[in-house]
Amino acid sequence: MSNSILEGAAAAGPAAAATTVMSMQQALNRALDEVLAENPKAVIFGEDCGRLGGVFRITDGLQAKHGEQRVFDTPLAESGILGMSVGLAMAGFHPIPEVQFDGFAYPAINQIVCQIARMNYRSRGTMPMPITLRVPSFGGIRAPEHHGESLEALFAHVPGLKVVSPSNPHEAYHLLKYAATRPDPVIFMEPKSRYWQKGDVDLAHCDADGGTPTGAKVMREGRHLTLVAWGAMVARCLQVAELAAEDGIDVEVLDLRWLKPIDAEALAASVRKTRRAVVVHEAPLTSGLGAEVAQLITQSCFDTLKAPVERVTGFDVPYPSGDLEDEYIPNIDRILFGIQRVLEYKRG
Amino acid sequence: MDTLPVASGVAAEPLTPAQLRELYSLMVAVRHLDTSAIAWQRQGIIPGYAPELGQEAAQVGSGYAVDTTRDFVFPTYREMGVARTMGVDMVAYMSTHKATWHGGLYDPVESRLAPIQAVVAGSVLHAVGWAHGQTLSGTPDGKLGVAMTYFGDGASSQGDVHEALNFAAVMKAPVVFFVQNNGWAISVPTERQVAGGSVAARAAGYGMPALQIDGDDVVAVVEATRRAFAHARAGNGPVLIEAMTYRRGPHSTSDDPGRYRSLDEERDGAGLDPLERFRQRLVADGIADEAFFAEALAAAKAEEEQIRNGIQALGSRPGTEMFDLVFQETTPALQAQAANWREESEHV
Amino acid sequence: MAEISFPLPDLGEGLIEATVLEWLVAPGDQVERNQPLVEVETTKSAVELPSPQAGKVVRIHGGPGDKINVGEPLIVFEVPDNTAGIVGTVPKEEAPKRRVRLSAVLDED
Repeated sequence: MSNSILEGAAAAGPAAAATTVMSMQQALNRALDEVLAENPKAVIFGEDCGRLGGVFRITDGLQAKHGEQRVFDTPLAESGILGMSVGLAMAGFHPIPEVQFDGFAYPAINQIVCQIARMNYRSRGTMPMPITLRVPSFGGIRAPEHHGESLEALFAHVPGLKVVSPSNPHEAYHLLKYAATRPDPVIFMEPKSRYWQKGDVDLAHCDADGGTPTGAKVMREGRHLTLVAWGAMVARCLQVAELAAEDGIDVEVLDLRWLKPIDAEALAASVRKTRRAVVVHEAPLTSGLGAEVAQLITQSCFDTLKAPVERVTGFDVPYPSGDLEDEYIPNIDRILFGIQRVLEYKRG
Repeated sequence: MDTLPVASGVAAEPLTPAQLRELYSLMVAVRHLDTSAIAWQRQGIIPGYAPELGQEAAQVGSGYAVDTTRDFVFPTYREMGVARTMGVDMVAYMSTHKATWHGGLYDPVESRLAPIQAVVAGSVLHAVGWAHGQTLSGTPDGKLGVAMTYFGDGASSQGDVHEALNFAAVMKAPVVFFVQNNGWAISVPTERQVAGGSVAARAAGYGMPALQIDGDDVVAVVEATRRAFAHARAGNGPVLIEAMTYRRGPHSTSDDPGRYRSLDEERDGAGLDPLERFRQRLVADGIADEAFFAEALAAAKAEEEQIRNGIQALGSRPGTEMFDLVFQETTPALQAQAANWREESEHV
Repeated sequence: MAEISFPLPDLGEGLIEATVLEWLVAPGDQVERNQPLVEVETTKSAVELPSPQAGKVVRIHGGPGDKINVGEPLIVFEVPDNTAGIVGTVPKEEAPKRRVRLSAVLDED
């Protein structure tokens, strides 16, 4: 068996005894291992996630440890994987299917949208769908077509689905453990460009208040402007915040975490303080989640906003090939431009 | 298995010695380019590649049967050998693996090869539509353009493949379904993928003739494909060919077969190298000698050198193409985004 | 003569590092293009890296067990001046570089 499970060196010092350093891949792997151990009805399946351990090794070692009944490979058919999840859920299991890459969710849309999302409703609550669909998501790794898509708006638009995306190993560990123990379908969007960066994981507590990780989280406090992001864009926004600080602009970075339901209170609390907001996402602009975020902020903070909420996003174009990836994904300069537009806005 | 009526096609003329030598030269060129492309990836020249080592006979043999004046071919992402055999510009073809442009830079209309398809089973139905278009266009039987669509044992699990086979049979569309059963869909072997063990056997259920052939015998592949084309061209409807072969290499340059199959299994499954097999046959039949083989290899090396130089010289596509190629008729919103991109990313 | 550095490429869809398993060449060796240089292991697989070019090995970076980050030098060759150049493209983690400066009068009304 591989050494992925439970790997991670304990950090020095008694104060940080519960903190370990691991990559997001390791954190997700550990979360799944614990979910399988804690819930005998949890099953993991998909393309290559058994013997191979997944193309990103997220399920590495889990089949060897938990057996072929709990972690198994399926034939190559996403609609089949998701459709079968419905039946397993009806039979009392908690399916944790994997769709190998974001773009491979498209062939499964029928089962996700028409079946998983509305079975609880159709059955008047008698057939809940505790399905945690893991989707390696977003771009940034110079991969082939359909390996760099951002589907959050598509999923969030579907009544009956919840959507969450972690931004670092710590969040990944806790959000997956939380998502995979919910009684409703959750689309878990893993930022594949962040799989291998390591970070501190406090296994005991997700948030400082010790509560459940159900809302957004302030990753950096600031006074002048709020950057709202999720997934891989959080790390980039944190970089931007440091650069903005050089110019005397104190930026708050809010990791939305849950893309449905969106934590409107956290948005309101942050922007009431900063009075300016820019939302950043990789997905295309039009009808993206940035519009939803902007509306929620406008609703709660209209009277105090200094400027309209800006959006810095991907473009309304199919996700491009690797050579043009960096032109498409919001980069540091484009985010800074967005911030500048908000800063220099003058009421007419 | 062979359920294709003998009388349905024209009697195929045997391959001439010159054609046999040409087939060998093509196989060597494909083999050398394929193995070189793996080296390119390890050398940082291209970010990824899906090798077809061991499938040269299946690809060259089937591609050789195509009449590029009237037929049309629908590839997956692993049909480099077909593209080369059809005379596609190989720098333009390999550019997809350089991450220059999804789909490649070659002209699909001119070359009669649809854009490289990353979605497994994505284009199988397209072939049926194109073929039915030939019927609708009133092309007389006997002169019909034929669509050939490629897919693998893995893709045969996708629902779209069932739909395509059924549509084609119902509409009597001139389609050749060319299945390369290479034994593996990433880590999942055919016995865990294809219930019943044979894709060709499924054709009977659609009332469709099928051939299961030795896909490592290039002459058998040419002959079978020619028969299938003749059958479809004559207006008799679709044919399915299952070419039994073996994926000797990894699924892609990101894959490690050592995690799911042993070297012994690989040796047993792969059998005799199709290139070496053909070479021995040509020698035994007195059709080619050592001088010819040396010349073919030298030509292959020179060709690879030229393609590699072309790939290395290939710059990124201009970012404006992201916007210009979305629609035939662009939209004001997209134009505005393009202008914004130019301003912020090109600093004009 | 000029020196040319070969940086570790991303060996598989977004990887950020690789571990050196074994060097197959040493400083002073004359290597041919495609000659195996080093065996490395990533989170995904173990692979042998073929030389991107012919030349004399000047330096190698990292011994067995050492981790090398994608984009960092792996090996340096000495080549005739007219053949020096940058080999390949390496996807790199975006360093916090900027061209845009912010300016604002932050009235605290």
